[in-house]
Amino acid sequence: MTKKSIWVIDDDPIYQIIMKKIITKSDLFSSIVPFANGKLAIEALKSVLDKEVDLPDIILLDIEMPIMDGWGFMDEIAKINSQLLESVLIYISSSSIAVEDKEKAKNNKSILGYMSKPIKLEDLYLIANS
Amino acid sequence: MLPYNFRENCKQNSVHLPSNFEFVFLNLYNLVYLLGIVFNYSFLNYSNTCFVINMSLINNTINFITRFNKPKTLGFLVFLSLSVIVTYVVAQQHFILEKEKKAEMNNDLKVIQQDLEKTLKNSYTTALTLALTINDQGYPINFNTLSKKLIESNQNISSVQLVPNGVITYVYPYTPNKQALGLNILTSRIHRKEALKSISSQKMYFAGPLDLLQGGKGIVGRLPVYNNDKFWGFSAVVIRIEQLFSFFDHNALSNSNYYLQLSKRNPNTNKEVFYLKGIREFKNLNYVSTNIPDGDWTIYLIEKESKATIDTTIIMLAVFGYILSILFGFITTSVLQKPRELQILLEKQAQILLNSELKFKSFFDQAAVGIANVSITDGKFIAINHKFASLLGYTPKEMKSKNFMEITHPEDLKNDMEHLDRLVQGNINKYSIEKRYYKKNGKIIWVKLTVSYLTTLEGEKSSFMAIVENISKRKVAEKKSKIYQQRIESLINTIDGIVWECNSDTFNFTFISQKVEMILGYTSEEWLSTPNFWETHIHPDDKFSTLNYCNEKTRSRVDHDFEYRMIAKDGSVVWLRDIVNVIRENNTVKSLRGIMIDITKTKEIQDELNNSFELVTEQNKRLLNFSYIVSHNLRSHTSNISSLTDLIESSDNEEETREYVALLKNVSNALNETLENLNEVVNIQSNLNLVVESINLKSYIDNTLIIVADKIRLKKAVINSTVNDAIELTYNPAYLESILYNLISNAIRYSHPDRRPEVNISITKEDNWNVLEVTDNGIGIDLERHGSKIFGMYKTFSNNPESRGIGLFITKNQIDAMGGKVIIESQPNIGTTFKIYIS
Repeated sequence: MTKKSIWVIDDDPIYQIIMKKIITKSDLFSSIVPFANGKLAIEALKSVLDKEVDLPDIILLDIEMPIMDGWGFMDEIAKINSQLLESVLIYISSSSIAVEDKEKAKNNKSILGYMSKPIKLEDLYLIANS
Repeated sequence: MLPYNFRENCKQNSVHLPSNFEFVFLNLYNLVYLLGIVFNYSFLNYSNTCFVINMSLINNTINFITRFNKPKTLGFLVFLSLSVIVTYVVAQQHFILEKEKKAEMNNDLKVIQQDLEKTLKNSYTTALTLALTINDQGYPINFNTLSKKLIESNQNISSVQLVPNGVITYVYPYTPNKQALGLNILTSRIHRKEALKSISSQKMYFAGPLDLLQGGKGIVGRLPVYNNDKFWGFSAVVIRIEQLFSFFDHNALSNSNYYLQLSKRNPNTNKEVFYLKGIREFKNLNYVSTNIPDGDWTIYLIEKESKATIDTTIIMLAVFGYILSILFGFITTSVLQKPRELQILLEKQAQILLNSELKFKSFFDQAAVGIANVSITDGKFIAINHKFASLLGYTPKEMKSKNFMEITHPEDLKNDMEHLDRLVQGNINKYSIEKRYYKKNGKIIWVKLTVSYLTTLEGEKSSFMAIVENISKRKVAEKKSKIYQQRIESLINTIDGIVWECNSDTFNFTFISQKVEMILGYTSEEWLSTPNFWETHIHPDDKFSTLNYCNEKTRSRVDHDFEYRMIAKDGSVVWLRDIVNVIRENNTVKSLRGIMIDITKTKEIQDELNNSFELVTEQNKRLLNFSYIVSHNLRSHTSNISSLTDLIESSDNEEETREYVALLKNVSNALNETLENLNEVVNIQSNLNLVVESINLKSYIDNTLIIVADKIRLKKAVINSTVNDAIELTYNPAYLESILYNLISNAIRYSHPDRRPEVNISITKEDNWNVLEVTDNGIGIDLERHGSKIFGMYKTFSNNPESRGIGLFITKNQIDAMGGKVIIESQPNIGTTFKIYIS
């Protein structure tokens, strides 16, 4: 089984460090790329669209971010409307336990799942095998 | 109808009246006709009277007699008698005239007769003279000479003859008469009879007129001649008929009114033969006749006019007489009718008087009100009707022994007497009072009494007239109604609201209950006496809407229930709930009735409730916000801690562990900071006893500018403030400081990289608010995207490292806590304006 690549989009630098450590430790993913907000991520996504190889397999997306938040990112993804993007699996990872956020995530078909922080190793196993 | 027709008839008849005479008869006829009508009329009247009135037999008889002696009848009788007299006189007059005429005619006839006889006498003389010519031998001597003389002396005689023994032997003049010679008249059929008559009478007899042998017609006078007592023959004279007729003509002409006629009975045929020209058939005419025995002739004198013709003077007399009798008839009728008419009028008047007296008596007796005639001197009842007496339980007779004072209730007597005095003094014409009488059984009766003077025809005040009406029932009803009214009033006044009624068009009040004084302080009198009182006392802020609403509902005839404020007498504001009924009559709005309820307390409670509801809502919102804060900001730290501790546990070496612990410390600091921020926010939100003081805005702005002076210098920002020294705000000093710092520092921080930062600070008035404006020309913010989050905690919209997402959050909380509000206007790349509303 080939290892999958993962993008972590979150403004919290400590969380980014933690995720990098955990993902590395788990040895489940081929690569891990961090983004501080949705805008940076969507720009990166657009730049790699023509090269299938560099597209991530999985995206872990935070909701609360400056400049462009999680929902803004999802809107932009929808705007791109590319066949290639269908293979990208997007998961929400948020500290929010608000029901509204969970509902909103559920109603977006492009979002595969909602994970509450903290992200555990078991969660990574699940998304890696999906 | 009948008399009218009669007159018509008369008119029609008179149009073609053929003669005066007929007119007289016609009048007579008409009079008879009239008489018939009069009788018919009286008979009809009589039967009508019988039918309608049905009086006693005596009355009928009297009536009948009276009617029989009617003026019309009498008038007719007068006319009739006068007519009879006139007729008689006229007839008499006529007869006298006739007689006179006859006598005159006879006279005339006599003259004619005498004239004729004279002629005949002359002829006799001639014949005798001729006879004397005969000598004793029976022969005439000097016949011709004598004859000639004789004829010359008597013009009428045409010839003379001597007829010895009936044979015409001598004639003179000879020539014209020679043909007669030789005729034996005693044998001639024509002459024999008349010749013999001469012989038998021994007188001269005139025969003829007859046809003469010598030609023509003539009469022959034959005188028998005796010689020595022995019949000799005849001495005859012949008078030609023309001669005789000329005589007659001559005589007849003397009076042109008459015809003259001569006749003789033919001796042979015994038929009367007329000899003169002119009328032969006159037996029906007026004529006179006489006999001439010498010739057996008859002379007639005939009046030319018809026998029936009546002298015009007589007709005039008759007409005049009849007209006079008609006139007298009419005069009699009218003269007699006058007293009769007067009599009828008198009877009528008497009947009217009787009727009116009866009427008044029945009015008096049967009136539904009590009527009494009261003495002016002692107040006694002179006359009293049944109703009056029965009201008081007395008989009229009993009442007459009483005066009004003794039956009047003592409490009412004074009032009654006072009024009576004024009436007597002439101050008033009449008076009406309500008073009590004592009934016979001692009970009290309430009456309405009206007293006025009863005056005589001369206008003298003779007595009082009192009219009483039983008003006991009304009094009871009044009392009941008063009690009822009082009950209603007290009920209305116990209602905890103002009961009112007003005109639907003007909103002028017609009633308002006394409760108004308790609720609004105005008395109902001052409310009702001032027009538009309600309108003018509505709270100015509610007046327009209230009046509009009322007008609208009244127009659409809908009962309504609404709330508004009024200004009470003491100046306070009273909240009223007004429940209004639209009163309709015959489908038009007559008035409005309603009740105003004081809802000031309810309103206050409601306001308080609303306030606390708003507070709760606000706090709820904050709580929700707080829960977000907790979920987003606290949880992110705790999740990091949790992850880090997991990593530490599974750490392989010391160095890695140290790295995690360092991270853990960072997280701990961040958590601490977050908690401090939260604490600050909670402090702001829960701080109910905020200190406010008067603050000079300009000094605070200056102070803030000093604090951010480094940043200003660094960015080369320009700060323009139009706020002057005079502006004083009542605010919490710490909050104002914090707000100013956050807004000014934000304006500098988010400056546009392409231009020099410029910050404008100003303060303006907007309604009751002081509005502090801070405007920059910075990067701006997309309000469409971020508008809802701009004042949220930890909401940052740029990658500026200094953005912490806490400044505006706190600013907003502080402004809210001071009872104000904040508005943001912004356009990306142009700039942002914050407006802070300070109460």
